[in-house]
Amino acid sequence: MRSQLAAGPGSLIFRFDRGWGMDRAMERPVTELRSSDELAALIGAVAAGDRAAFRAVYERTSAKLYGICLRLLGSEAEAEDVLQEAYVTVWRNARRFDSAKASAITWLAVIARNKAIDRLRRRRPVADGLEAAAEVPDEGPLATAVIEQKDDARRLAHCLDELDERARAMIRAAFLDGASYPELAEREGVPLGTMKSWIRRGLMRLKGCLER
Amino acid sequence: MSDERDPPDLAAEYALGVLGGAELAEARRRAAADPEFALSVARWRGRLAPLGDGVDAAEPPHALWQRIDAATAARDNVVVLRRRLNLWRGAAAGMTALAATLAAVLVIEPRSAPVSVERPARPPMVAMLSDEQKQMRVVASWNPEARQLILAVAGDMPHDPAHAHEVWIIPPDGKPRSLGTMGRPRVHMQLADALAVLMENGATIAISAEPPGGSRTGAPTGPMLVSGELTRA
Repeated sequence: MRSQLAAGPGSLIFRFDRGWGMDRAMERPVTELRSSDELAALIGAVAAGDRAAFRAVYERTSAKLYGICLRLLGSEAEAEDVLQEAYVTVWRNARRFDSAKASAITWLAVIARNKAIDRLRRRRPVADGLEAAAEVPDEGPLATAVIEQKDDARRLAHCLDELDERARAMIRAAFLDGASYPELAEREGVPLGTMKSWIRRGLMRLKGCLER
Repeated sequence: MSDERDPPDLAAEYALGVLGGAELAEARRRAAADPEFALSVARWRGRLAPLGDGVDAAEPPHALWQRIDAATAARDNVVVLRRRLNLWRGAAAGMTALAATLAAVLVIEPRSAPVSVERPARPPMVAMLSDEQKQMRVVASWNPEARQLILAVAGDMPHDPAHAHEVWIIPPDGKPRSLGTMGRPRVHMQLADALAVLMENGATIAISAEPPGGSRTGAPTGPMLVSGELTRA
């Protein structure tokens, strides 16, 4: 398969040919190609079944995604398994990526994080029974949907600053460590209801601030 | 402080990843059934994403790409195969339609019912995999038309991060071929042509404990945890 990609207005047009194109692309300095438009274009090519583009996406993004998995799971073996699941999902769902709604790297990071969180929640299936865990439905076609606003990062930083210290710390811990409500409650030595209340209020205030 | 005074924003909690158990299952169900909820989740994912910006990158081991390449190439083959089959079916259906038109023009009554161009569907097969103590059971179901193998644990599959659960097909020649590792209690596997032909009556499906990432030798190296014979459903 041969695909030509226009990486966006003003940027270079590059081409991946199955077989040799991949090697040529990989000889280039990584920084030269590391732009969000080009990554989005590569994912567009992956959606068309371009395996060289898929490899290029992996080469450029796997270190970031592996870092996310490793941080959440704390185990190299599990992080590798989850990273594999994440890229298989990318290969299968590339056509669902919408560059108008989110940046490519955010979309990829969300897929990796979701897979890692899934794995974390499956580690302790005792409470609900393994069969119950196995019956958890797939999320459907919007499983990988991400919608970003233009200045999400700046607004989030600003709105996190408006939260009280405790809520901010708990939301960060939940996101970065993948800790669940019961784990956070145990960690902080507070009842589960209290922890839920802290985080729910934090999220509500965050929402109010972000939508202002 | 009670839950009631702070009404949950389930979409936000789900995107943050703090849910577990029944609440997680509920969020998943709603995400699948309620597009508005799913959009709210998507929006929260975007809002919260910058929290992860500072996470350190780490190089995954080199061998990982080979695993991903193999896993996606297998799927690729199946899709290509299916497309080819559909193309062939389409062409055959076109020929049938053309023949029917000619028959109508010539005012010839067809002597028999139109010939179906599709092969008769091959029946699905199942295997009940268990150990001698019947503590761990895995149900395997094989759909030959979709070339899809579904494995689901029914019983206790202990969390064992030190080992991978590797799935094997053992055809009558007795030589196990790896189908991949089972990283969760329920997996869907799309099998490549060469493996799909081995899924026949009397073949055995087995799961062994292997080093993380699977057997390095291509043959089972750890103990067989469960096994069962594949039979017509």
